[in-house]
Amino acid sequence: MYLRILKKDIKRKKTMNIILLIFTILASVFVSSGVSNVITVMNGTDYFMDKAGIGDYIVFTQTGDGGVEDILKKSANVSDYKKEKCYWATKDDLTLSGKKTEMKSNTLIIQRLEDTGIRYFHTDNTEVVHVEKGEVYVTAGFLKNNNIHKGDEIQISLHGVNNSLKIAGEIKDALLGSDMMGNTRLIISDEDFELYEKEESLNQFSGSIFYADTEHVKKLSTEVSGAENILFEASRDKIKLSYVMEMIVAMVVLVLSVCLVLVSFVLLKFVITFSISEEYREIGVMKAVGIRDFKIRSLYIIKYMAIAVTGGIIGLAAGIPFGNYLISAVSEKMVLGNDSGLSVNVLGSAIVVFIMIGFSYMCTGKVKKATPVDAIRSGQTGERYTKKSVYSIKKSHLGNAFYMAVNDVLSAPKRFVTIIFSFFLCSLFVFGLVEVADTMKSDRLITTFGKKSDVYISDAKLVKMDFMSYEGNISLPERYRQIENDLESLGMPGKVSMEVWYMYPVTVDGETTSVVLQQNKETSADEYEYIKGTAPGNAKEIAITPQISKKLNVHIGDKITINYGEEKVESMVVGYFQTMNQLGEVMRIHEDAPARMENASAMMAFQIDFDEKPDAKELSERIEKIKDYYDVEGVFDSAGYCDDCMGVADAMDAVAKLLLVITCIVVVLVTVLMERSFIQEEVNQIALLKAIGFKNRYIIKWHVIRFMIITIVSEIMAAALTYPVTKLWCDPIWNMMGATHVEYYFKPLSLIVIYPGIILGINFIAVLLTALYTNRITSRDMMNIE
Amino acid sequence: MSVILEVKDLCKTYIIEKRQNNVLKNVNFKVEEGDMIAIMGPSGSGKSTLLYSVSGMDLPTAGSVIFDGKKLEKLTSNELSEVRLNEMGFIFQQMYMMKNLTILDNIVLPAIESKKNGESKAEKIKRAEDLMRKLSIIDVADNDINEVSGGQLQRACICRSMINKPKILFADEPTGALNRTASTEVMNELIKLNEEGTTIIMVTHDAKVAAGCKRVLYIVDGNIKGELVLSDNEKLTAADRERKLNNWLMDLGW
Repeated sequence: MYLRILKKDIKRKKTMNIILLIFTILASVFVSSGVSNVITVMNGTDYFMDKAGIGDYIVFTQTGDGGVEDILKKSANVSDYKKEKCYWATKDDLTLSGKKTEMKSNTLIIQRLEDTGIRYFHTDNTEVVHVEKGEVYVTAGFLKNNNIHKGDEIQISLHGVNNSLKIAGEIKDALLGSDMMGNTRLIISDEDFELYEKEESLNQFSGSIFYADTEHVKKLSTEVSGAENILFEASRDKIKLSYVMEMIVAMVVLVLSVCLVLVSFVLLKFVITFSISEEYREIGVMKAVGIRDFKIRSLYIIKYMAIAVTGGIIGLAAGIPFGNYLISAVSEKMVLGNDSGLSVNVLGSAIVVFIMIGFSYMCTGKVKKATPVDAIRSGQTGERYTKKSVYSIKKSHLGNAFYMAVNDVLSAPKRFVTIIFSFFLCSLFVFGLVEVADTMKSDRLITTFGKKSDVYISDAKLVKMDFMSYEGNISLPERYRQIENDLESLGMPGKVSMEVWYMYPVTVDGETTSVVLQQNKETSADEYEYIKGTAPGNAKEIAITPQISKKLNVHIGDKITINYGEEKVESMVVGYFQTMNQLGEVMRIHEDAPARMENASAMMAFQIDFDEKPDAKELSERIEKIKDYYDVEGVFDSAGYCDDCMGVADAMDAVAKLLLVITCIVVVLVTVLMERSFIQEEVNQIALLKAIGFKNRYIIKWHVIRFMIITIVSEIMAAALTYPVTKLWCDPIWNMMGATHVEYYFKPLSLIVIYPGIILGINFIAVLLTALYTNRITSRDMMNIE
Repeated sequence: MSVILEVKDLCKTYIIEKRQNNVLKNVNFKVEEGDMIAIMGPSGSGKSTLLYSVSGMDLPTAGSVIFDGKKLEKLTSNELSEVRLNEMGFIFQQMYMMKNLTILDNIVLPAIESKKNGESKAEKIKRAEDLMRKLSIIDVADNDINEVSGGQLQRACICRSMINKPKILFADEPTGALNRTASTEVMNELIKLNEEGTTIIMVTHDAKVAAGCKRVLYIVDGNIKGELVLSDNEKLTAADRERKLNNWLMDLGW
């Protein structure tokens, strides 16, 4: 009996049952992939670091080992360590079929696989175990940035040693893979590496990388601060933090998954409620003829259970590749995954099935309360009828179809809340990402990277590593003057300076640690922005970041001893500033402080402040002139320099676009399925309108306008809430990166015109095509209305 | 009187699960302007199908329906819509209305859609209110459709059907869902409209309702089996008309 009723039901209410099945499949796809992706992203960098075998503490030296190995060997804080030998090169040493590279970072690290301390992975996440002679693996992102492909040849010319290598592929490099680290590692074969080892003149470019296992990072850092030639030292946590931008991108999948899960459940609840309300009449009839509530209820629950299980299984099968696709789309440089395998996906789909059964149990709960007459009246008792029409045609100045659409939305807003919520949620995250990407591409963040100047030249051809030597103390200022003369000869006089980073041991309360100090000898420290206190006024004053304040437990007014090598200077903290350099772990010293180029660990860019402030057009022309004059590419305005420093604006843009595509897919699915449900629900009214002489065009217009209204409402809500919501989720991320006060850039063209326009346009097409189905309803359907 | 509707050899066939069901078989009749015709017959005889076919709501399988000189089966979907909107009125047994609109809005909606009379919106609303006043439902103009009685709702449907001043009114069991009192009220309104010149064709099971019409067509198995003229010329009382109709129906096996 049950089976017969079910079979009849499935046949008779084919449309609604198919819609419900599709929603269940979607929910299962989104939830099964979503739950798995949430776990994957939460594991994120730890999973990658563990898989790569990164130690707890990492040190880079510029030449030789600087005594680090000795310290690590003797230290009681080190349980084990690994050492890699490397050669330092710049992108100027690399050519691709005669052309220069377009790398974000100047620094190249050449290594062999055989003595590597960590594991590298192919793009398909399998481990790199061998490199053929004459081949090279490069850090992920290199090929795309340089528009070259696997199999292409690169030439490395390192101080007379020339080597031509075929690109074997890209590697996922846990230490240097993040955009914030930004260096490119070239992994070559043992045989090719020996070419460099044989050439003694290259020893000055041969450095070391140490990975130490320790439970006392801070103590070890203090011990290592006594070593020489340290270019960079960091804990595993700091390396993890360097992936913050990649994690933002990966977090998108998490947010998207949560968003899709929410949308799925809301839609599922709506469709089940809607579907059951369609059944009320026959529920009433069954009650009237004396069938017990339990039997009626179980009949429907069995039906929904069958749909839930079918949809759940199909969704599970589709959810696994879908989830993998999403993760792979956002983890080009990371190995993301979890150890739970398929069980998480199965759990996700099982949740959907149980929730759906729960919803149907809840919704059929009304069966118990309703009298047969109530049920026949579609669940409404005569006494509880509520006023529906709130917008009279008398007050309306709109066309007929427009009036009907507005009246529908105003009369039964609850009916559209589900759709508005879905569109709003998806749009909110798209707009948020767009706002973040626009902010990254603007110059709003420039003061978190340095002083705002007109032009920045960061090209390796000019910013040479040779300056980071004893001679640099003379040659760098000479270079400033030379560039100033060149600029004058080009008719655009200006002042040239550069921010240089130094690694010096600093001592606070007897504890010594190495810290990066920033200094621009050609610019007064008070030309930078400070968030609290004042700029360093002399060599004995310093400014610090909130991150350093927390790390060293020093505050304004406290004193820190900086060991500049030849002299120790007791400096007072006079101000706080924010910076994203070194994830905020830097100090700013006065231009007169005795920092020396031989202790420099990095140089940023030649900054040019023109004497006459050029407008945007003039500035862009001057940038082109500078590029031509020096034959370099790395010349930027402040917005371009920000983008170059962060290196992820394009990735964010790509993710925003990916999210837009997924949003559009969700919008289209929701629109098509909901509009189809509405048509099904309104078939009587459509037939009536047609019977009394309304044309198809009118019905379609009415339905399309109705969806356009709710889409516009959703988009307005999303645009209005983009700023506060983005601030809410993105501020903590900026904070982690060192920026404590970020002004977002609201680009009206993106957030008011382009993105909402795309969503609106896609939705228009979707609802229009779906509404065409109303053409199949004719006036003769009046005869079939029950 | 000129002929407003002519039905020629009208056939309607439905195919249900590969079985052919001939619902209407060569039906022929004419309707003159100002006529009021009741179509009667047993359940399943094809009354409603006939009404929907002659009103252009459904297309005949064969034959022709000529309304006001236009062959309905030759009209496009849009032309048919125009005809239904401007020249025909419909009353349904179930009193279907747009559920999110008030009674007045439901009535005035087709008028606003129509470009026939060149009236302003305010004039159309006024005309709708006049019609409602005439049918004594002006008090419920701003009510929702579920806030009024069945009789009031059916009168609202009559108002809606009359709002574009149609040449002909089709009614499918207009009193079928009403009690006796409401049924009499609605029938009186229809008779009044007919007296004012509106041609009416209705399907009914109720002999009392049909007795108010000028002609009765009796249909059995898709064929018109008989026609009774209840002309006013005979000066019959309402009771006499009903008796005469009942006798005729009994003769036909009703």
